Amino acid sequence: MTDARGDRTANERPEVLWLRRLLGGVGIYIVVLLMLFVGTLVSPDFLTSENLLNIVRPVTLLGIVAVGVMFITHGGHYVDLSIPAIMALSGMVAVSTLGLGIVGSVVCGLGAGLLVGLTNGLLIGYLRLNPIIWTLAMNFMLDGLLRWSTGGNQVYPDYTTGAGDAFVNLSRCEMAGVPGITLLLVVLAAVAHLLARRTCFGDQLQLTGSAYDVAATSGVSVRRVILLSFLISSFTTALAGILLASLSKQGTFTNGQGYDFNAVTAVVIGGVALTGGVGTVLGVVGGVLLIGLLGNIMTLAGWGSFDQMIAKGVLFVIVVGGMAYAARRGGRDDE
Amino acid sequence: MPDDPILQLRQVSKRYPGTLAVDRVDLTVRRGEVHAVMGENGAGKSTLMKILAGSFADYTGIIEVDGRAARISSPAQAKTHGIEMIYQELSLAGPLSVAENVLAGRLPRRGFFLDRRTMVAEGRRYLEQVGLDTHPMQPVEMLSQHEAQLVEIAKALSNDPAVLVMDEPTSALSRAEVKRLFAIIARLKQRGVTIIYISHHLSEVYQIADRITVMRDGRKIATVIPADVDPPTLVEMMIGRPATQAQIERKREPGRKRFRVRNFTRAGFFHDIRFFVRAGEILGIGGLAGAGRTELARGLSGVDPVDSGDMIFDGKYVDPASMRACMRQGIAYLTEDRKRQGLALRLSALTNTANAVHAKRGHLLARRQRKELFSCQAAQLQLHPAQPQRQAAQFSGGNQQKVLLGKWLATAPEVLILDEPTRGVDVGAKKVIHEKVVQLADQGKCVLLISSDLPELAALADRVMIMRKGRFTREMSKVELSENAILLAANADREANPHD
Ligand SMILES: Nc1ncnc2c1ncn2[C@@H]1O[C@H](COP(=O)(O)OP(=O)(O)OP(=O)(O)O)[C@@H](O)[C@H]1O
Ligand SMILES: [Mg+2]
Repeated sequence: MTDARGDRTANERPEVLWLRRLLGGVGIYIVVLLMLFVGTLVSPDFLTSENLLNIVRPVTLLGIVAVGVMFITHGGHYVDLSIPAIMALSGMVAVSTLGLGIVGSVVCGLGAGLLVGLTNGLLIGYLRLNPIIWTLAMNFMLDGLLRWSTGGNQVYPDYTTGAGDAFVNLSRCEMAGVPGITLLLVVLAAVAHLLARRTCFGDQLQLTGSAYDVAATSGVSVRRVILLSFLISSFTTALAGILLASLSKQGTFTNGQGYDFNAVTAVVIGGVALTGGVGTVLGVVGGVLLIGLLGNIMTLAGWGSFDQMIAKGVLFVIVVGGMAYAARRGGRDDE
Repeated sequence: MPDDPILQLRQVSKRYPGTLAVDRVDLTVRRGEVHAVMGENGAGKSTLMKILAGSFADYTGIIEVDGRAARISSPAQAKTHGIEMIYQELSLAGPLSVAENVLAGRLPRRGFFLDRRTMVAEGRRYLEQVGLDTHPMQPVEMLSQHEAQLVEIAKALSNDPAVLVMDEPTSALSRAEVKRLFAIIARLKQRGVTIIYISHHLSEVYQIADRITVMRDGRKIATVIPADVDPPTLVEMMIGRPATQAQIERKREPGRKRFRVRNFTRAGFFHDIRFFVRAGEILGIGGLAGAGRTELARGLSGVDPVDSGDMIFDGKYVDPASMRACMRQGIAYLTEDRKRQGLALRLSALTNTANAVHAKRGHLLARRQRKELFSCQAAQLQLHPAQPQRQAAQFSGGNQQKVLLGKWLATAPEVLILDEPTRGVDVGAKKVIHEKVVQLADQGKCVLLISSDLPELAALADRVMIMRKGRFTREMSKVELSENAILLAANADREANPHD
């Protein structure tokens, strides 16, 4: 008697939020395909391989950032608002340490970024500071520090040794016509996917993000998990910062601007719940692609950059608002 | 006399995706009565009550309030009809103060600002009604489970309801508090408030209910008067077949001393606790709520830091500073706070079951092993429905408890610290859990059992330590154990030292 009821439910998916199902995981690629279609309507040149690369290129670095930041969001700590400062810092450090050779400079750049991530992670994970407030403050402090230490000037690679050229080429190398940084993103995404899905860390991060107290009473070292999520995020962010400096051939404190908001947007439309615990790397990559597509289409359609910013802001509000609404309709009673 | 119905439900149904939780229920609630609703875990009691409280806009059927058809599709609408609900899973806002929670939605203001003084005074007034003497400005998250439950009741009372729905209000209360709750109920009844009362405790229901409605599988089976049915018949109505009354038998005597605790202290919570548990022994810890039992359990399992003291298991010291170390040496702690600390409600039952195992081992189980782990626990605890992918939040309260217990049993513990293990489970499931606990003890494991359910404590424990104000004040052996004796012991010292 009771089993009959059990069977009926057996095949049906649990009540997931429809919006998240649409955006998260594979669903977002339906939207991506839709946008590809819209693109061809807007411009006949849309589907050329040239333009497709134009779509991907400007968001590749964003993708690298988003794939890391996702870990913070997943762990229930929203986002790292010090992304712009980390990018600027790592770029500037890498450029100014080119004297150590290309490898040394990249290592220094990454190290600087990781140091910021370590500070964030320790303060947020161990002292339980509010992640939004703290990383925002961190961003301001670093920004000020960078301006002060360089007197407000850019730093340029030193081309007298080979390291300068090598640095500039970091972001420009290609493999069989595909940009190296795109390949890098693919590799990072694959690693992130494995980390999130197949490791104990990923499992514990999900639990921490879903229910902090439960994780803490289930033998999870919540503080270490959170620290790690901030480290991962700062690592990919620093990587993106170095590549951005290489692309723009200079290190400057404005280099990372806008990446914070864009990264959250990508993460959120990629179906990662801002409340933590839900989401996939695949979805985030889809979110990044969608942002690239939107930008490209809007540009082809002749929109200015301000209009594009507004459009992205509206999209963000719709997605976040829609998710919150769907969550409430879904009768979730755990929040 | 009050024969006129205040609530009349006709053919009310509610479907969750894939589950018909309430199936064409007709129910009459009379004005001023205490109407108990009983049934197995997952019978649809909470869902039915949530319909009344306006949680769903998509129920079908007709609800009449005071003889007039009413559509109750939001909590606000329920409130305008005078219906208040105390939820099974506590729903207070943690960071806010007690007073803010109690007075939520109508905080006193002076001009543009909150009127703090009035808020404190008002808050205190309602807290007094439920006999709680915490400060109204204390954040709710600082309260213990039972205090939070009382705050929840105060909150409902502050809206001056005509119908008060209580979904398992006593599951987090100790016996003294239950008494107080019954006094409150009696007072409310005098004032003409109608009360709908859900409980799995037969004794409570017989004590206070005017009428009892039994539900099974989403359907209403019958509404009866307590005097007309004896407990076995009532249970039979709930489970749909005659209840079996087998005593649980212990297969072996407790053996050598396996788990020892010495000088365990956490200042302000517990002091100089010393005890041992033998192999295969169930050691009960009795005491009034607030005696420090949960805090002790958290200290023993490495969740909370302790100031000093040793734990020795099988001759090896256990480091209480690391929960993982405790788990690796075989200690498992089943929390009393299922919603906040027990289950990640948004994750699946499968994930919840595997969580603690993963943390203990430090690596993930293969998907197939995880599935096996789940099916094994689901089968032995009779989880219903036994669907691994179902979100924890979508199980009924009692079945959530089974998921939680399964999570810890899955870690194959040697020392099992159970804090209110049968909270919110029905009569049948309780027996399943009791049998499981005894079976574990018979395998030579050590069990620490904290329970405010005295019959449970008396039936299962081999020995009981009475805890009071953070100290063990008395030890009772098996022969001394009875419900009343435990109760007396827990209270006795209070009478001896009337000053504290
Ligand atoms: N949010 C939900 N989504 C889907 N199904 C649900 C949800 N909540 C409850 N159910 C299902 O509805 C049925 C009735 O659940 P309900 O919570 O009303 O039971 P109950 O009688 O209160 O049980 P208990 O005594 O365990 O609290 C159960 O089969 C349960 O699995
Ligand atoms: Mg219930």
